[in-house]
Amino acid sequence: MAIEMKVPAVGESITEVTVATWNKKEGDHVKLDEVLCELESDKATFELPAEAEGILHIVASEGDVLPIGAVICSIEPVAGASIPAASVVAEAAPAAPVVQGDAIPAPVAVAAAPAINATVLEIKVPAVGESITEVTVSVWNKKSGDSVKLDEVICELESDKATFEFPAEASGVLEIIAESGSVVSIGGLLAKITVGAVAPLAAAPVATANEPVHSDAVRASATTYASGHPSPAAAKILDEKGIAANAVAGSGVGGRITKEDAQNAVPGAPVAATSVAAAVSNGPSDARGVRREKMSSLRKTVARRLVAVKNETAMLTTFNEVDMKPVMDLRSKYKDKFKEKHGVGLGFMSFFTKAICVALKEFPSVNAKIDGEEMIFHDYCDISIAVSAPKGLVVPVIRSAEHLSLAGIESEVVRLAVKARDNKLTLEEMSGGTFTITNGGVFGSMLSTPIINAPQVAILGMHNIVERAVVVDGQIVVRPIMYLALSYDHRIIDGKESVSFLVRVKQLLEDPARLLLDI
Amino acid sequence: MQEFDVIVIGSGPGGYVSAIRAAQLGFKTAIIEKYAAMGGTCLNVGCIPSKALLDSSEHYYNAVHHFEEHGIDIAKPKVNLKQMIARKSSVVEKMNGGISFLMKKNKISTFHGLGSFDSAKTVKVTKEDGSSETLSGKHIIIATGSKPTILPFIPVDKKRIITSTEALKMTEVPKHLIVIGAGVIGAELGSVYARLGSKVSFIEFADSMIPTMDKTMGKELQKSIAKLGAEFHLSHKVIGASVKGSEVTVKAENSKGESVEIKGDYCLVCIGRRPYTDGLNLAAAGLVADERGRIAVDEHTLQTSVSGIYAIGDVVRGAMLAHKAEEEGVFVAEVIAGQKPHINYNLIPGVVYTWPEVASVGRTEQELATAGIAYKEGSFPFKALGRAAASMDVDGLVKVLADAKTDEILGVHMIGARAADLIAEAVVAMEFRASAEDIARMSHAHPTYTEAMKEACLAATAKRALHS
Repeated sequence: MAIEMKVPAVGESITEVTVATWNKKEGDHVKLDEVLCELESDKATFELPAEAEGILHIVASEGDVLPIGAVICSIEPVAGASIPAASVVAEAAPAAPVVQGDAIPAPVAVAAAPAINATVLEIKVPAVGESITEVTVSVWNKKSGDSVKLDEVICELESDKATFEFPAEASGVLEIIAESGSVVSIGGLLAKITVGAVAPLAAAPVATANEPVHSDAVRASATTYASGHPSPAAAKILDEKGIAANAVAGSGVGGRITKEDAQNAVPGAPVAATSVAAAVSNGPSDARGVRREKMSSLRKTVARRLVAVKNETAMLTTFNEVDMKPVMDLRSKYKDKFKEKHGVGLGFMSFFTKAICVALKEFPSVNAKIDGEEMIFHDYCDISIAVSAPKGLVVPVIRSAEHLSLAGIESEVVRLAVKARDNKLTLEEMSGGTFTITNGGVFGSMLSTPIINAPQVAILGMHNIVERAVVVDGQIVVRPIMYLALSYDHRIIDGKESVSFLVRVKQLLEDPARLLLDI
Repeated sequence: MQEFDVIVIGSGPGGYVSAIRAAQLGFKTAIIEKYAAMGGTCLNVGCIPSKALLDSSEHYYNAVHHFEEHGIDIAKPKVNLKQMIARKSSVVEKMNGGISFLMKKNKISTFHGLGSFDSAKTVKVTKEDGSSETLSGKHIIIATGSKPTILPFIPVDKKRIITSTEALKMTEVPKHLIVIGAGVIGAELGSVYARLGSKVSFIEFADSMIPTMDKTMGKELQKSIAKLGAEFHLSHKVIGASVKGSEVTVKAENSKGESVEIKGDYCLVCIGRRPYTDGLNLAAAGLVADERGRIAVDEHTLQTSVSGIYAIGDVVRGAMLAHKAEEEGVFVAEVIAGQKPHINYNLIPGVVYTWPEVASVGRTEQELATAGIAYKEGSFPFKALGRAAASMDVDGLVKVLADAKTDEILGVHMIGARAADLIAEAVVAMEFRASAEDIARMSHAHPTYTEAMKEACLAATAKRALHS
């Protein structure tokens, strides 16, 4: 009896696929799970594995466009095959509908929870923001087979902009589909929850296993009692890396952790320290390792955007220097009082932000955006501040900074920095800035050429403050000097404006009374 | 004073393996052995010589009892015990040389003499000629092993009342050998002499042979050894023994409290072994042995209470088995190198080299019942196996215990031809937490003894063995 293979459902909005290439020819002998052909949707290309072993008969040729569910080919079990071969086919057949009903990835051979009548809720990635098309599953707080409660946080998702916690949409037993580290597009299947069930649900099949069908179903189930069990070699490697077995997704049979899984596992930051200490404690060991690590979504996006800005704008940088003495004097004179009154320290950021807001008002093109063939000017100043967060660079925004007092700016900076450190910034808090400040000075940078934070058109780089010999009124004096850099998009900002903008900022900082007098 | 990264005291299977692993890891390593020959109890007076005699006696037994049925007619064979012992000795000698070679190959410095602690970082080696030298080591591994336990009311004279050591170099085949203790060593050596024609009487305090193993194993083994003409006094408590000329009298009390007297020409005492740390001068290192003579070690590192001193094998807790000591030897060397090795003590197989052999790994039925774990049992007898029938080795069975819910294999117990080798499959499966059905679905070559494992797993999965 030939098995018909149909186009599987590959995603919510996809209704048809194109047969891109056949890897096998008509009449070929194919094995179970061998890749037969490549299918293309308008979103992605994916491979179609054989659902059984046998002789291939191709129905749809290359270039054909097929709706979901249409027959692509059929596989005929080899005539006169030995008994074991026949039994493979027989077993594959009942599994087939499950495979077809779902997305292609392998581990979806879910044994559709045979004994339980409860509803199975599919948990999908929600739309989290306008421009976000995919998320990375950063960590699962629950394991497959665990009971979860409504609204309990089951995993953390990471988009290129933010990390957010994902709560259970129902109470029941969890079955993880997308393992930690996998990238899932919006609307993609994350997990299933068997509503109302209580762990351990494994109780159902094997206990009564007197006939083979039941136990076979158990074998096919995505997680088992052995999921996450490391092999002897894997256990040693994980211990040496300081990684708990439950932090690793096992790729072995039944989710077992293989030696390779352990070799590829990357330690999470908090536990790593102890293992490093142990590893260097004694005796000879290999110190010349290399490590491969997948880029996080955030890192990939940062990388892509930075290159795009370099390629698509006419970016250049202008420099100036600021004598920080007046601001520093002011600060040391009032910092205690300021702190007492406002409950927040008086830093340099407030002076810079304030000075920039004044300058932006005077040079509106620096506070603009390009949208196609039009320029968008803002009569408000939403200042983005680049902050180094544990997972990489983030850029939260101080809204309408021009209306804020120095204290208001300082407390906003503290609030956003704390959230950035804890990965708690929302998308809202990170979008829509009109101008960016970046401070490489905190790490000791003397001078740099920052890259514009698109679609903005200018960015100011602050640097370290160094005592330098400068000439004031014909005398060489020592002054605390900071170099400033303004990178700008020459397409809409002319040299005159950019340079004047920076000079204006310099002027305001070297004589802060101007901020008060508005001159 | 010579300085080393690692000093190993004792060259048994734990000690010499530990030294090799330490050397592989780049440590400057020394090994100290009290006797002239390397290899410890296992090689000199344990595993290897007993297996040599077990096989010789098995050949003899087959020649007498089975050759005719196989269609081999020979003149009535005679036991040449002198030659048997000589062959055993040559096997041991050859292996002694092998270990010395391995030490040289790995550039391990060998010191012959009694090692004793001078301090927590130094060990004095006193040689046979009385001279001594002191070595210092950053890390010291105690691998001094064990000796047979001797009870005060049994006067072991090593001539008529003997231990396993003497039983391996007998000059005559006993007429009536009384074996006190029907555990692993008693069962093995008792069956050697039973095959060679001795009448063998076992006296055992527990109510079965090999009492620490799964009950079915003890029962089946007793059946097989009874076929050799042995008799059993189970649930008997030995209260004394005496020698008069060439006659040994052992007095015991049965379960009803009645006294029993058994007379024979030799008495073999196999009531267990004790950790051996005599002459080691533990006090100088700041160490004390516990009330059973063992050295306490940390579970995760096998380090003793003194930093830099480790202990492995029979001197520490756990089963007194050569392969357990080997695992610990490797373990400690890797711990010293900053690695994090593992030992799964639940999966160290236990083996009795009688014929049929007994082997087991994991939990017994009794342990599972006590722990309240619901389990399924599947057994398969060797007599239903084509290979066993062809070879006329039909005694025994394989018993698989699997979790009632998950089908995970929790224990495997087997008695039968080559069980000692067959158990390896169970260890591998259990290290990966395989289910009974996993094994049942793997191809096992036909005809082999391993098919019994597959069939027992089928039986454990869902009572669907194919050939029973």
